[in-house]
Amino acid sequence: MKPWMRTAGITLATAAAAALAGALALVYSGWYDSSATHPHTAPMNSVMDVALQRSISVRAARVSVPPLDDPQQAIDGFRLFRAHCVQCHGAPGVPPEPFAMGLMPPPASLVDAARHWPAAEVYWVVRQGIKMTGMPAWQYRISDEDIWNVVAFMRVLPTLSPADYQAWDSRHARPEAPPEPEPAVASAPAPAAVSPAAEPRLGDAQAGRQALQQYLCITCHAIPGVVGANYHVGPPLGGVAQQRYIAGILPNTPANMVRWLRDPTAIDPATAMPNLGISEQDARDIAAFLYTLDEPE
Amino acid sequence: MPRSSYAGIFPGLAALALALLTGCGEPAKPLAAPARGDALPGADAGRGRARIAEYGCVSCHAIPGVRGPGARVGPPLRHLASRAYLAGVLPNTPANLVRWLRDPPAIAPRTAMPDMGLSEADARDIAAYLLTLH
Repeated sequence: MKPWMRTAGITLATAAAAALAGALALVYSGWYDSSATHPHTAPMNSVMDVALQRSISVRAARVSVPPLDDPQQAIDGFRLFRAHCVQCHGAPGVPPEPFAMGLMPPPASLVDAARHWPAAEVYWVVRQGIKMTGMPAWQYRISDEDIWNVVAFMRVLPTLSPADYQAWDSRHARPEAPPEPEPAVASAPAPAAVSPAAEPRLGDAQAGRQALQQYLCITCHAIPGVVGANYHVGPPLGGVAQQRYIAGILPNTPANMVRWLRDPTAIDPATAMPNLGISEQDARDIAAFLYTLDEPE
Repeated sequence: MPRSSYAGIFPGLAALALALLTGCGEPAKPLAAPARGDALPGADAGRGRARIAEYGCVSCHAIPGVRGPGARVGPPLRHLASRAYLAGVLPNTPANLVRWLRDPPAIAPRTAMPDMGLSEADARDIAAYLLTLH
């Protein structure tokens, strides 16, 4: 063995050992925040995003897609969607249930998913679920035929306006389905982030940045500087501080922003943005954060 | 250490690279692919871009490719083709975009966007251009 090989070998081995020790120390020290109130760091998020997409594409490559054009398939799929999917993912004009808003990563907007994921991959995700997210595997609970029906409905979903979705709901929901406890959801108490007696304080942009994760804002809007917020279901929010109108309707004032955030459908009954049950304080904080966005992306 | 003991690694790497490349072939089509301007037969994106300048759309919207003051009266139209909804109300299809451009208040009565009196042909050309903005 030549001397330079020996030196190189020792250097490499030492570097590898140091890297391993460093990684173990980082893991064991508890440095990484596993809470659902903070998203992954941006590099972690990017790596996991690519890994997830590749993992799904590779595994779904062998799936053969059946015909999905029979309208009855979409109707059957809608019933399953209504029973099992809308609670976490929401639908046009329908917010997810409160429990779903605390999930990290947040449940995807399926309008966006349908616009970007091919049939085989949607099928695969519904069937197999996604590890370390709230997405369950449905293969043990729903037949493959029914999973394809859900895929068939998801193909229709992005073409539905909020009013169309309502129409599907009244036309196709099973008659025996229990009445929706809508008012209960709408009036659900605000998350305990605010102490109950406290008078709402002035908006705090830092608190708003954290709060917007809990209302799934990032599953529909591109928001500069917020990890994972790069979807175009609604308009991008970069530069929103400078925008003259909110939703094309309300003059952009802080009070109007809070009003809009708290109850968009009261202002525009046709809007796809649902009432997410945002408390007065959280709406003030989120508005304060939005007013820091005075540059377009 | 003789070179030969490393030689086995390279075919392995080559095989891995090949597997990755073949795995990344033609990407499968999304379930409900975003709207495309070429779904409007006869419409011309280049003409649409000129019409946008003529109608003064940029006095309210920032529109890539059309010179203007970068106004933020309405939302910026960058990424419009990727947007799922128009005005937060209509699913973003070429036909809906034409409908919206021709008469916004007919769709959202309280909208600040006025009816600009666009002809069907102008609306189709403008839609074709906007749908190139991914």
